[in-house]
Amino acid sequence: MKWKLAAFVAGSMLAASAQAAFTSDQVQSFTLANGMKFIVLESSTIPNANMYTFWKVGSRNEAPGTTGLSHFFEHMMFNGSKNYGPKMFDRTMEANGGSNNAYTSSDVTVYQDWFPATSLETIFKLESDRIAHLTIDPKMVESERGVVLSERSTGLENSNIRMLMEDLNSVAYSAHPYSWPVIGFESDIKAWTQQDLVNYFRTYYAPGNAVAVIVGDVKADRVKTLATKYFGAIPKRAAPPAVKTVEPEQKGERRLFVAKPSATSANLMVAYKAPRADSPDYYALNVLQGVLTEGKTSRLYKALVEKQLATSVGTDATDGFDPGLLYVFAVAANGVDGAKVEKALLDEIDNVVKNGITEQELQAVKNKKLVNLYRAQETINGKAQQLGNYETFFGDWRKLFAAPAEFEKLTTADIQAVAARYLKKQQRTIGVLAAKEE
Amino acid sequence: MKKLVFTTALAGAAAAHGAAQGAEFKLPQFETTKLSNGLTVMLMERHEVPLIAVRAVVKAGAVNDGTQAGLANLTGDAILLGSEKHAKAAIDEAFDFRGAQLAGGSATEQTTVQANFAKNDAAALLPLFAEIVQQPSFEAAELDKLKNRKVSGLKQAKESPRQVAGTYYRSMLYGDAPYASPAGGTVNSLAALKRADVQGFHGRYFRPDNAAIIVVGDFDPAAMRRQIETLFGQWTADGPAPQRADYGKPLAAKPRVWLVDKPDAIETTFVIGGPGIARNDPDYVPLQVLNTVLGGRFTSWLNDELRVNSGLTYGANSAFSPLAQSGTFAVSSFTASAKTEAALDLALKTYNRLWEKGIDKATLDSAKAYVKGQFPPRFETSEQLASLLGDMYALGVDRAQIDNFMRDVDGLTPAKAKQLVDRHFPRQNLQMVLVGKADDIRKVAAKYGEVTELEISADGFRPGRK
Repeated sequence: MKWKLAAFVAGSMLAASAQAAFTSDQVQSFTLANGMKFIVLESSTIPNANMYTFWKVGSRNEAPGTTGLSHFFEHMMFNGSKNYGPKMFDRTMEANGGSNNAYTSSDVTVYQDWFPATSLETIFKLESDRIAHLTIDPKMVESERGVVLSERSTGLENSNIRMLMEDLNSVAYSAHPYSWPVIGFESDIKAWTQQDLVNYFRTYYAPGNAVAVIVGDVKADRVKTLATKYFGAIPKRAAPPAVKTVEPEQKGERRLFVAKPSATSANLMVAYKAPRADSPDYYALNVLQGVLTEGKTSRLYKALVEKQLATSVGTDATDGFDPGLLYVFAVAANGVDGAKVEKALLDEIDNVVKNGITEQELQAVKNKKLVNLYRAQETINGKAQQLGNYETFFGDWRKLFAAPAEFEKLTTADIQAVAARYLKKQQRTIGVLAAKEE
Repeated sequence: MKKLVFTTALAGAAAAHGAAQGAEFKLPQFETTKLSNGLTVMLMERHEVPLIAVRAVVKAGAVNDGTQAGLANLTGDAILLGSEKHAKAAIDEAFDFRGAQLAGGSATEQTTVQANFAKNDAAALLPLFAEIVQQPSFEAAELDKLKNRKVSGLKQAKESPRQVAGTYYRSMLYGDAPYASPAGGTVNSLAALKRADVQGFHGRYFRPDNAAIIVVGDFDPAAMRRQIETLFGQWTADGPAPQRADYGKPLAAKPRVWLVDKPDAIETTFVIGGPGIARNDPDYVPLQVLNTVLGGRFTSWLNDELRVNSGLTYGANSAFSPLAQSGTFAVSSFTASAKTEAALDLALKTYNRLWEKGIDKATLDSAKAYVKGQFPPRFETSEQLASLLGDMYALGVDRAQIDNFMRDVDGLTPAKAKQLVDRHFPRQNLQMVLVGKADDIRKVAAKYGEVTELEISADGFRPGRK
């Protein structure tokens, strides 16, 4: 599951001014002969650095029987390579002051390393070794299955929204792989074979399928030298096969109900079909989300939370390579019928479609985008994430710097137009999770 | 995700880790002054981005709730409901329109009001911030709405064992002492609170000689000093400032188990431990290093055994949760219901390695490098630094703890580690909270101590009074 990655996208007319934490001419990038791309930003506010590696592989690259394999593979990437046997990736990194994590979405798998800048070479050795020479030990596969089954069940145990979203996706999509959960189905998790893993690694972990971002107290020249030394030797491989399935047009509203006996109030999720991340409508839709749920003066907060129908509201979008969903969700207040929350939520959305938004609302969201840009750029982490997301989902990290102008040129008419284009009854799926059906 | 950030028993206190390998990292300079009315003012300049983080920190929290659990927390949030001069809608509009964040909140020993906004908006927003801190309206209708929302939230929290396991654990360890009081209150205690209670709490504790204003970010210090003095200099207090009482020590005279029944649970969430240390304990820093070995990082013993070697769970950890006067320690994890006994036994066996095998030099060196390397990003943003300054003020965290970090980490040897393990990690009479399906794990629970059963849907976080 992927929560909002693009919430920190730039905004407003001031963002391009000298006040931004960094500018495009401070960013350097290069591509090795094997196709692996690097983006580097020198930033010396703390004596640390990050390395983020974005792999263009996620659950959209799977098929029934191998659902969850991208995510499982993310786990296996920590379980041993030629020069660093089982457990040694983490042990070596931690002994050198570093930590790491990774996440998988429907579209990408991202490996994150956070370390003292002095450990840069160690990190390059570790990362390149597992790409060049991963060992997939059957014993490690077995114990890791248990870990992922636990991860799956603890997510369902502790998050109603996760449980609801998983089932909703399976209804909202009829053909596209976005239909299944990123973590995979339980039966598939138990069934992967050694060969499935070996094939997956060979197919998707080709250097040309990755973008690495390094931000921190490093010198770009040195990053290039180390990248060439450690990653440059990895052979070039064929591009992975394209995902061919195109989700058919949705012809009418779909509904589902999920029962969870311990739920104390209804959880509601409405998902509308939305375009791929690099759509021309991206920025207008992003603003529309802000108008609906960002802050205490947003439309749905006022209509649902302030009116005591719900305790929380939110929106999320799958920023993907293929058309996805725009989710709107709410948790009903104690004693309030889910149906009542649903009606209020849909009425408010219809109102935006019919009557649009005000200049004041538009400016407020533009202001939020600007301040959020600063918040994200206050950390090396935020900077790395921004650069990597733009390169991966928009095709070029430079587009990050065009984002302020993209937001600034939007008008209230643009926002109403995308609301009318996407927030349609026949294009929506409504899911309710509650203790029992009303 | 490869890893879970599992925080059931964590207090969230900023850990004062030190410098990166080879590069010294120091707390940036800041000034502390006191206005004539007793208000502490802390200013730290930062110019990386044009943002300012502001917080008012009041030395009062759940420990001051008395029999009204949740009062401090409700007051902290109710501050945002408008001032005598400006209605809630005007405050919300002013902050929201500018992309500013405004939040209130209350923890065990401090209540905070915090804002975060663009530098250019300081002139417009700081006066509003000052108003709500000093002259909140606690408007009746808005207060009722907030209360109702928080009651719903308390019920919803119990749908997620991870959100509440730590609250049961604190309640179990502190019994009737103020430290047992659940910061958010309970459904019944919160529902009973009246506007006069909130006004009374504000009147007693929100006073200049019991508060600090902390500003971190992109500003001119002379101008900011003047503005803070203008906005807060007239704040007055009657009578003597509130004094701190004894908030309690953990109870661990015999092994006990609280079994919290959640009938539709598919896994057991568990917390095991006993007494820990206070926030300003001289051993705080070295104990962070030792806990890193046991359960504070991915390659920790607990995560290695319960996750990597056995596949019983997605994550296992341990942590000290220090408070101003005392604290707790806990090992936490979760596992499928059917594997509860295996996971508990393995957690206990792994924990006992602290005494049976001890920590060798190589492991200790790795942990020392790790805590040093992971320190700088903890204090990278103005918000994080404001939070640290707030803890220093409210919890009496001594600056020396931060300044001596390198010395305290580097000075740790296997022999000293052994002494610290014996002194601070609870070994006997372990206390245990299990949240899960009681019918499936009742027999297992009885292995570990005297069992008390609770219904997760019952009010609060302790057994009902018979």
